[in-house]
Amino acid sequence: MSRPPAFLSVAILLLALASLLPACRGSAGQLRLATTTSLYDTGLWEYLEPLFEDEYGIELHVLSAGTGKALELGKRGDVDAVVVHSRAREEQFVTKGYGVERVPFAYNHFLIIGPESDPANISGAGPEAAFAALMAKGETDEDIRFVSRGDDSGTHGKEKAIWASAGYDYEVVRASRSWYVESGSGMGTTLMMADEKQAYTLTDIGTYTTFESDLGLVPIVDEGDALLNVYSILVSTRATNPAAASSMVEFLTSEQTQALIGTYGVEEHGRQLFTPYAREDM
Amino acid sequence: MFLKASGLCQSHGNRMTLRDIDLEVKQREVFVIIGPTGSGKTTLLRLLGLLDRPTAGQIVVGGQEVTDSERSRLGTRRRMATVLQKPVVFNASVYANVAYGLKIRGEKRDVRHRKVATALEAVGLSGSAERNARTLSGGEIQRVALARAMVIEPELLLLDEPTANLDPVSTSTVEKLISHIIQRLDTTVIMTTHDMLQGQRLADRMGVLMAGEMLQTGDPRDVFNLPRGREIAEFVGMENMLHGVIASNDEGIAIVDIAGKVIQAVTNFGPGEQVYVCIRPEEITLTGTKDSTSARNVFPGEVARVVSFGPLARVEIDCGFPLVALITKRSADEMDMHTGSHINASFKATGVHVITR
Amino acid sequence: MSELANAFVTALKLIFTGDPEVLAIAGRTLAISLTSTLLAALMCVPLGCFIYFHSFRGKGLLISVIQTFYSLPTVFVGLIVFITLSRAGPLGGLGILFTPQAIVVGHVVLIAPLVTGLTISALGGVSPEIKDTAISLGATRFQTVRTILVEARYATLTALMVGFGRAISEVGIAIMVGGNIRGFTRTLTTAMSLETSMGNIELSMALGIILITLALVASILVNRLQRR
Repeated sequence: MSRPPAFLSVAILLLALASLLPACRGSAGQLRLATTTSLYDTGLWEYLEPLFEDEYGIELHVLSAGTGKALELGKRGDVDAVVVHSRAREEQFVTKGYGVERVPFAYNHFLIIGPESDPANISGAGPEAAFAALMAKGETDEDIRFVSRGDDSGTHGKEKAIWASAGYDYEVVRASRSWYVESGSGMGTTLMMADEKQAYTLTDIGTYTTFESDLGLVPIVDEGDALLNVYSILVSTRATNPAAASSMVEFLTSEQTQALIGTYGVEEHGRQLFTPYAREDM
Repeated sequence: MFLKASGLCQSHGNRMTLRDIDLEVKQREVFVIIGPTGSGKTTLLRLLGLLDRPTAGQIVVGGQEVTDSERSRLGTRRRMATVLQKPVVFNASVYANVAYGLKIRGEKRDVRHRKVATALEAVGLSGSAERNARTLSGGEIQRVALARAMVIEPELLLLDEPTANLDPVSTSTVEKLISHIIQRLDTTVIMTTHDMLQGQRLADRMGVLMAGEMLQTGDPRDVFNLPRGREIAEFVGMENMLHGVIASNDEGIAIVDIAGKVIQAVTNFGPGEQVYVCIRPEEITLTGTKDSTSARNVFPGEVARVVSFGPLARVEIDCGFPLVALITKRSADEMDMHTGSHINASFKATGVHVITR
Repeated sequence: MSELANAFVTALKLIFTGDPEVLAIAGRTLAISLTSTLLAALMCVPLGCFIYFHSFRGKGLLISVIQTFYSLPTVFVGLIVFITLSRAGPLGGLGILFTPQAIVVGHVVLIAPLVTGLTISALGGVSPEIKDTAISLGATRFQTVRTILVEARYATLTALMVGFGRAISEVGIAIMVGGNIRGFTRTLTTAMSLETSMGNIELSMALGIILITLALVASILVNRLQRR
């Protein structure tokens, strides 16, 4: 084993590698944003990213995480802004001083989807009534199953709120027998699981639309105040690049972008995924 | 004086493996340490080769005392080369193995090339330079080890039982090689072996190591014929050892009383001394009962057993005391030697070696 | 079965049409894993040598602990590196969270015990007579260590190979400290995780096939090196 060539090739390799990895400095023109997985999976960010980068000349890094994690990252200052959909937690985020303010910019609705056969017979009911029916019939009817996100995400938070509204202690719901399953995963995975089990689940319309063609589940309950799903952006008070974060707020709320958000997905899926012009009281 | 060791002691755990060893080796001398397995030969050689540190004692090499400092030990160690028992080769070519000592000394490539080629030729492995050393046979590995040591032209060469694991033919080859190296390099050599005949063949001077103690050093012939103690006598093959008492001594010729029988021997021990009378089996001549002999000691006896010993015959005789003789098979056949034969065993007074009891 | 077959076809298509995003992801994955392995080698092989050649109290215990860490859960390592590199954490000032460098750090932490421990095993596999032989021919301490390391070269290279394999195939650390940012910290494994959660099974499997191919090529190269 000849020594000089070995050392040489190692050195060259190291140099090549060093060049491949982009520098981690240059945060002046970089914006880090954490968003909820269900929003990320709709592909909206992939769509908006080049538009934002071209307009503002800021490099955008988007991380996809559960709402809880996204807010945690914002709290720590590891990201400059968060975009999530959990009003109560967002307001708390601002109150506690982690976020500058809550700026809603788009909304849609959650859906309760399930098997076409609708074994629990909840089609057309309101969300609270539907959940009550599931709770009552789930214990005894084998065909009735529900898959929960179980991961403290915005969607999960919404689910828990509906249970509370319907008058149930969530811990009691969780302790239910095998008809109630917690996936502990993102929306996409949860949908696939629900599909496998031919179960009911709560989902945002964006993710559902993306997966629709692969699923054998249909919307069962799609109306009700409790199903309102509002997306907001919050700038972290510990942001490394607050200026860039403000630019993103400006971008999202601009007339042009709002219009684009409104038309996103219409051509491909035949339905609107987001309604822009969210009101401040939403 | 090239190497001088004084008071060397070594212990392993609670055991003392070497006790107070004193040793002197002259320049260009071949000093062979013989002793049975487990006597501490390897331990001693490792101390002399500066591979291990002694628990006590001092070593002086080429006029320089060996100290505790690793740096000075390294400096002295680089003037020697040790070939271990059952040597190992590096997982590399034969060339790389042999060149090792030169490479770590920083010798230039063309110098290494030349010296390695010479060494390989000397051990007869020139054609195998590029082979992976791990593929060699036991005997070839021994030769690589010798070449590896030779190539650095050491002032002191230490060999630990160099032929212990080899068949007779390989043993002979390696012994010839060692003699050749000794002549060529003019080095001082310290060698260990349990084969006293090998010691005889190669040694200028010999030392007998038994149970961690150096019992006798000197000319190989002295060790062989005039062992200073019972264990040594046994080890060097004095099979006949008889208890006796000196009856009288007249100017060096003594009469020894062996339970009634009388043996004449050359010794300085005085009357009353309790002794062992040692006779080498080869010194005993067997003759027919009617033949005459010039030897002073003649004992009629009856053959108890005859055992073939290669081209020789080992004859056990009862002469009132047991004797073992070693004669040629031919002679045995000519005398029709068999159990029960009546013969005379005789040996010269000078062939008798007396040691104190 | 047809899903698997389709995945193969997709994989080939992605490679041969030179899909830029996939190529970038693959290149990034390779760069990160190779860097981690090299850094771990530079740090841990000498460390392994040091531990092996010295006697000290608690040496046996240390080696046991190192071996226990062979099975460090990647999520656990990811978590620790995350809270260390987070702006709220002690090394937050470096600002390397959610960059490829952070993944390299995480990988080095993950495979360090592996490379150290396997180096120690490799050295242990060299017969003790080699050390004596080197010393008897006049080697200095450093030369002796180097000789033994060279004798153990095959096993040491295997140690690096194992480290590389563990680094390139893990996902917990890459996601936690890399963030799976498109075009920046997305690796083959994090991309697979994402595509799976989005239901793109075939694409995910194709990425997996590409990853295995990379590992295979690396393994073949190492084997050729060892045979020389």
